[in-house]
Amino acid sequence: MIKVEKLRKNYGRLKALKDISFEVQKGTVFGFIGRNGAGKTTTMNILTGLMKSDGGKIIIDGMDLSADRDELVKYIGYLPEAPSFYDYMNSYEYLELIAGLSGCRPEEKKKRTGELLDMVRLKKDAGRKIGGYSRGMKQRLALAAAIFDRPPILFLDEPSSALDPEGRREMLALIEELKDENTTIILSTHILSDAERVCDTVCMIDEGRIILAESLEVLYKKHIHPIFDIEFEARPEKQADMLKDLDWVKDLTSSGNKLSLEVNDMDKAKDQILGILSKSENTVISYRLRKMQLEDIFIGTVKDNADI
Amino acid sequence: MQTFRQYFKKEALEALRTNKYIILFVGTIFWALMDPLLLKLLPMILESSLPVDMTALLPELNRDTAFVNFAGDLFEIGTLFFGFTLMGLVSSEIRFKRLVFPRVSGAGFGGIVLAKYIHYAAVLIVFIFTAFMTNYFYTIGLFDGGFLSIEAAVRAAVLYSLYYCLLLAILILLSSLFKRGLFAGIIIIVFAYTMSIFNQFAGIRQYLPNYLLLKAQDIHGGFDSTLIPAVMVSASLIAISIVLTVYRMRKIDIA
Repeated sequence: MIKVEKLRKNYGRLKALKDISFEVQKGTVFGFIGRNGAGKTTTMNILTGLMKSDGGKIIIDGMDLSADRDELVKYIGYLPEAPSFYDYMNSYEYLELIAGLSGCRPEEKKKRTGELLDMVRLKKDAGRKIGGYSRGMKQRLALAAAIFDRPPILFLDEPSSALDPEGRREMLALIEELKDENTTIILSTHILSDAERVCDTVCMIDEGRIILAESLEVLYKKHIHPIFDIEFEARPEKQADMLKDLDWVKDLTSSGNKLSLEVNDMDKAKDQILGILSKSENTVISYRLRKMQLEDIFIGTVKDNADI
Repeated sequence: MQTFRQYFKKEALEALRTNKYIILFVGTIFWALMDPLLLKLLPMILESSLPVDMTALLPELNRDTAFVNFAGDLFEIGTLFFGFTLMGLVSSEIRFKRLVFPRVSGAGFGGIVLAKYIHYAAVLIVFIFTAFMTNYFYTIGLFDGGFLSIEAAVRAAVLYSLYYCLLLAILILLSSLFKRGLFAGIIIIVFAYTMSIFNQFAGIRQYLPNYLLLKAQDIHGGFDSTLIPAVMVSASLIAISIVLTVYRMRKIDIA
């Protein structure tokens, strides 16, 4: 488990992180979402021990990062947003360097290098100098370097930002696979649909402050709209009359063949709506509970935060 | 030890692929070949390009003057090559965030700094020895007269090696202090040239590193006790610079 308490970082006068605190449970995917410059990368850099904080405490698996940095680094993998390599090396040479530094056995080194180059689709270009790679290729090599020694904690900073759609899909599949292997993943992204797909918990950060940290399940429940959208085969005038006077109906709007029903008792609404409508002759074509997307929640939360 | 081994290999590969070996070769061994030849041709060049014969103004050119001339030129020109070639040893790693993956993979700063230092110290020692030996045999072949001996050439190589090992340690420290290696390069070159001014002051010169160069150019001298303070000061500065570089790297943000 990762526990962060009152983490603070200043760049001169700019307060990049303002006493942020959060916890990441073991084996989960923790999504850091926020706008550019919100403080995501700074947090990642501090959590990986690559940057000093100006205050606060970080406990990883019971060890204090500031005191046990050299020990903790063995459990951490990091994929930075803009990875930097020794451009005169090729992928084989670079991964061999990483393997050597992480204490990989020589017989394992070659096997793992080949396996990873295959996985990130770089085997064909592995003999070329890294300096000649595209941004996407560099990001794929960075992923191979980050997971080389199978770290139990993996930090991914905008991992799919430079990838093509296929690469992005593969990245998300890999995150899910790593999660199944009980790897704790801290994912920073501004692609909210990615976060929605793979994260268990999301943490919204804005201007160096955490404005929301919640499990996705709870988040959806909290931010759900109590509105049912129903579409009929014909104009639902009669159906509107049937529903409007019910005690659990708060508001009802009609537009063309559609009805939108805002309710004040979700359970009663779920139980009764279809029963009532089945008695009418107008066929129901679609029926759905209006659900908020993570993007809507994010925009709303950031707006609320700005209004404070 | 793991970090040291990996980074030593990395430094060798980098020096090979980024032509650092070739540049340092030109600054030392190539110069060892060219210097005596140019000196030999100097009277003829002066004779053909000047209206009056000025060769009488030149000192007598023998093996000693040729060797001392090379030693002086090696310091003046070799220091430029050295400073501008190795100025980014640490700064470029930090500036371009190249230590992120190695650090997260377990690399220790002590191993990184020591690997860089020992690799380039070894390269400099090999090149300086080769340069002095090449120059010695070449000078013997081209010039007559003088008292130049192989012992004097070996002694000069040892003292120059120690001096450049000191400059290297200071350069690595400076390179960790600045984001742009150019500043480190300029400072080390200015430092080396400025320190040689103190060779004029008999009272303090033997305590300063540049005294090593002065003694290296003294063909008739030997490894005497006057060298002890300069050797001690140089060795101490090397150790202090390396420790400070590791300390500095532990304090900076590498991402």
